[in-house]
This record gives sequence, structure tokens and C-alpha cells, in this order.
Amino acid sequence: MNKILIASHGHLASGIQSSLDILTGLGKEVSVIDAYVDDRDYTKDIKTFVEDLHGKTGVIFTDLLGGSVNQKVMLEVAQQKNIFVITGTNLAIVLSVALSTDSVTKESLQELIAASQVQLVEVSHDDTNLSDDSFLE
Amino acid sequence: MIAQLRIDDRLIHGQVALVWTKELDTPGIVVANDNAASNEMVQMTLKMATPTGKKLLIRSVDEAIKVFNNPKGKGMRMFALTNNVADALKIAQNVDDIDGINVANVGRFADNSEGETHQVGSTLMLSDSELAALKELVKLDTPVFQQVVPSNQKASIASMLKNK
Repeated sequence: MNKILIASHGHLASGIQSSLDILTGLGKEVSVIDAYVDDRDYTKDIKTFVEDLHGKTGVIFTDLLGGSVNQKVMLEVAQQKNIFVITGTNLAIVLSVALSTDSVTKESLQELIAASQVQLVEVSHDDTNLSDDSFLE
Repeated sequence: MIAQLRIDDRLIHGQVALVWTKELDTPGIVVANDNAASNEMVQMTLKMATPTGKKLLIRSVDEAIKVFNNPKGKGMRMFALTNNVADALKIAQNVDDIDGINVANVGRFADNSEGETHQVGSTLMLSDSELAALKELVKLDTPVFQQVVPSNQKASIASMLKNK
């Protein structure tokens, strides 16, 4: 599995971890930072994640572009070509990366991100049901 | 052939759509459920939950059994879903080619009209009739286990049913 850190203002990061765990059982496999819920200097935790990669590929998810958490992350990874930073994080993109069996690349991440957008859901009257034969083809 | 028959009261949902279809490499998902087969709103939500590139068939339990026994489907890996034990038992008794039966999530949304439920493990809450059906299910030759997500170990249902 790709190495993952999720960092957010407050408990969004550990909340996504909890959802990931219910859906896939992979909650323990990701690192999280819930920033500003206490006095901890979480930049240390970013550094630890980066060091533990030992140059291998990693993905850091942050909550808001331009938010302080994202800024701190960018400062820590500016020199690291092996780390991708994704912001505006939602559960869909974290799931996609966590379940991706290949090591991610810039191109593969762009595809996963495109398939993980927030969207308006409307009642659709799609009554195209498959016949037995077309299903079994 | 049925690569896995899963009993899950949520039918197609995150664990199933994202994780299991990938793990089992099943191009076809069959929801065997009488209510879903006749309810367009339920069909809409199931279609919404089906991953891109996977085929979905929604049938009543009896119609689904015909699909599973259709010679054309012999070489196709199918992921079959019911939302209760009794429906799964009916399928297992009438279909030969099933690799395994996964009793994953049962009873959370049940109406509990039969009174008290029997807790089996953390995700199975069974009425008297569902418990009886599960006891019948483990007597069959097909392996019956619980594995909510692939990273869990398979747990034998027969051993979970001891003393029940």
C-alpha cells in the first residue's frame, strides 16, 4: 500500500481514518495529524512521516489549499520529489489511493482525483436494466 | 459461477463496491433481493453504488437462481449479494457452483418484529428464523465464513454458532 499521511485542522484526519477503517480495515495503515486540537507542534509529525519514507513514494492529504496545515506540509516537503501533496481531501480520494495496488505517479493521481470529485446527486430515472443474456455475455 | 455469495444487509455499499469487487475480481454483481427487484428507488441507489466497469443484475431470489444456474454463466465470476440469511440459504440449496459464503453484516436494519435478536460476533444480529437459517447454511458443503473486509481473517461461522 502507498504510504499515506492525512493532516487536517481538527479531527477531520482521524475521522477519515475511522471511515477508511470501517470500509477497508486499513485505518491503522495511515498516519494522521489532527492539528490544533491541543498544543502539540505537529510539524514534528510531518517530519517524522517524511523521514520514515526513506525516499520512497508517499502521499500527504491536507484539508484546505492555503490553510496553515497545508502550508506547514509544503514547507516540509518542498525538497522531496518522492512526496505528492493532495488538498481539498475527501473520503473518495483517500480510499482510491489507499486501495491502489500500484505505487502512485503524478499521472495516476490525476486520474484518481478526477474520479473522486464532489458532485450534486440527483434522482435519475435510469431504467436501463440488463437482461440475463446481456449480463452473462 | 459464484465467486462469493455475500450476506450483507447493506447490499452494495462501500465495503462491497470498492473493496470486494476488486479483491474477488468479479466483473458481474448480482443482487438477489425480492424488494430490490420490484422497487425502482432501491434499484437507483444500487446502480449508483456499482463501480464503473462492473455489470449489475438485480433479480428476485428465484430469478437470480435461474441466472446462477444458466450454463452461459459457468465461466463468469459473479459476486452474489443477499441482505438476509434465508435468501442466501435458498440460493445455496439450489445452486451448485459457489466458492464460498460470506456472512458479513446482518440485522442492523431489520424490523425486529420477531422480538429479541441473537448477537453472533459483532456484525450479526439474528432473529430466531435467521439463526435457524444460518444453522442450516453451515450444514451445506460450501465454506461458510465471516470476513467483513479482506484485511480481516476469515472466521468460521460454525464455530461462532457454538452454544447458540
